[in-house]
Amino acid sequence: MRTPMSVLRLPRGPDPNSRGFDPNSPRFIALCSTTISSSTDTETDSVQIGEEQCARSMLRESFLRTLIAMTNKQVQFYMYERVKVNAVFGASDIDVLNFQVSDLQTPIGVQKEALLRCQDVILYSFDL
Amino acid sequence: MFLLKGVLSIQAQSTLSNTFNLQFVFCTETKVSMAMRQTPLTCSGHTRPVVDLAFSGITPYGYFLISACKDGKPMLRQGDTGDWIGTFLGHKGAVWGATLNKEATKAATAAADFTAKVWDAVSGDEVLTLAHKHIVKSVNFTQDSSCLLTGGNDKTIRIYDINKPEAEPQEITGHTSAIKKALWCNNDTQILSAADDKTVRLWDRTSTAVVKQLSFDMSVSSMEYIPDGEVLVITYGKTIAFYNALSLDLIKTVDAPASIHSASLHPDKDFFVAGGDDFKLYKYDYSTKEELESYKGHFGPVHCVRFSPDGELYASGSEDGTLRLWQTEVGKTYGLWKCVLPGEFALFHIEH
Repeated sequence: MRTPMSVLRLPRGPDPNSRGFDPNSPRFIALCSTTISSSTDTETDSVQIGEEQCARSMLRESFLRTLIAMTNKQVQFYMYERVKVNAVFGASDIDVLNFQVSDLQTPIGVQKEALLRCQDVILYSFDL
Repeated sequence: MFLLKGVLSIQAQSTLSNTFNLQFVFCTETKVSMAMRQTPLTCSGHTRPVVDLAFSGITPYGYFLISACKDGKPMLRQGDTGDWIGTFLGHKGAVWGATLNKEATKAATAAADFTAKVWDAVSGDEVLTLAHKHIVKSVNFTQDSSCLLTGGNDKTIRIYDINKPEAEPQEITGHTSAIKKALWCNNDTQILSAADDKTVRLWDRTSTAVVKQLSFDMSVSSMEYIPDGEVLVITYGKTIAFYNALSLDLIKTVDAPASIHSASLHPDKDFFVAGGDDFKLYKYDYSTKEELESYKGHFGPVHCVRFSPDGELYASGSEDGTLRLWQTEVGKTYGLWKCVLPGEFALFHIEH
C-alpha cells in the first residue's frame, strides 16, 4: 500500500469578490508600467511618467466621485441600438462591469431592480 | 486513523511498529518514486467543463497556465502551484480555446460568442475583440506575439496582425468542416490545422496553399506541436499518433484502453500522457510505448492534458469542471508537493 505524496497546501481558488490580477503582485508592478502610454516611448522620462500618473489619478478620482454623486439620483443611460433609459442609480461593482439601478423605465414597463451591463452603455448623464 | 508529527529516532522504529502497527515514511530522492502514490492537486473555480488549457513559456515570474471553460470565464493560474491569479471577464459564451504567449504577457481566447479576444495577461484587461462569422475554436500566437491565428466553425483559418487589428485578416480556406485546432509551426512560416472533415493539413503561410494533408477514418480529437524536434502529437479514437511536423511522416502510434481526447509529449521526449473518456490519465514510455501508470481522479472525461514547459508536472482539464496538476516524478519536492526529509521529522499514520 503506497503512501500518498504530501502536499504543503491546496492550490488557491478564485476570490469571489474580484476578478484577480492583484496590482500589488511583483509581476504586475514590474510589467504594468507599460499601460502608461509615455512609457512605451524609447526615451522615457521618469518626470513624464510621474506627470501622466498624476493626471490619471486625478481623472480616476473624479470618476469615482461622480459615481458617489450619482447615487440615488435619476440618470439617463444612452446605450447601443438607440436605447435610452432612465433609472435611479444604486451602485457600481468593483470593476465597473455592472451598474445596479432601481425603477428602470423600459418600453415594456418599469423594472423595479436591474443590472445594467457597463459595456453596453455609451454615455450616461444626470443632474447634480 | 490520525496523523502525528514529531522527531523520532530510527532505533525506536522497530519496537513501536511491532506494538502499534506504525507505518513510517522516509523520503530519499532514490527510493521515493517506488514508495509514493501520486497526489494530484485539484484547481477548482470553474463551474462547467474545462475544454482547453495551455502553458506559457518560463518567465522570470515562473510559468503560467490558462484554462478555457464552457462557463465563459477563462482563468489564469500560476503554473507550478495552480494558484488562481485572475479571471478574464468579457466573453458572452462558452470559451473553447485559450492560449498564452511565451512571456505570459498576452492571452488569447476563442469563444462561442463568435469572437476571439486578446487580453493583457498581467492586468486582465481585454485588449482586442476580433469578430468572426461563427464559433471560434482555436487561437495561437506567433513566437514574437505579433500575429494571432484563429480557426473555428466557419471553416476558415485567419491570421490577424495584433498591431493592426483594424486591417482585414489573411484568410486560408480549404477545410470542408469546422476547424478544431490551428497551430503555427516551422518557425511561424507554416500552419497546421485539424478539422472535423477528418483531415490534418499543413499550409504555407505566404502562399496559403496546402503543402501536405493527412486523412483519417475519424475526426482528430486533439493536436499538439512540439517545436523542439518538430514533433506533432495527434489523437483520434483510442490512438495517440506521433508525426514529423515538417514532413507529416508517421513516427509511431500507440493505442490506449479508452477513447482519448488529448495527449501531450514530455519536453525531453521520454514520456507522454493521455486522457479521455474513462476519466483516467495514462502515462506511457515514449520509446518503448509501454503503459507505465494510470491515474484516477477526475469525475468526468478528460478533455485536455498538457506538460508544463519544464516537464515537472502535467495539467488535465475535465468535464467535471476541475483542472488537476500531476507530478511527472512522483515523490519529488516541487511546487506544492513536499518530500519529507529523513531523520528531521517523520509524518506517519497510525492505523487501528
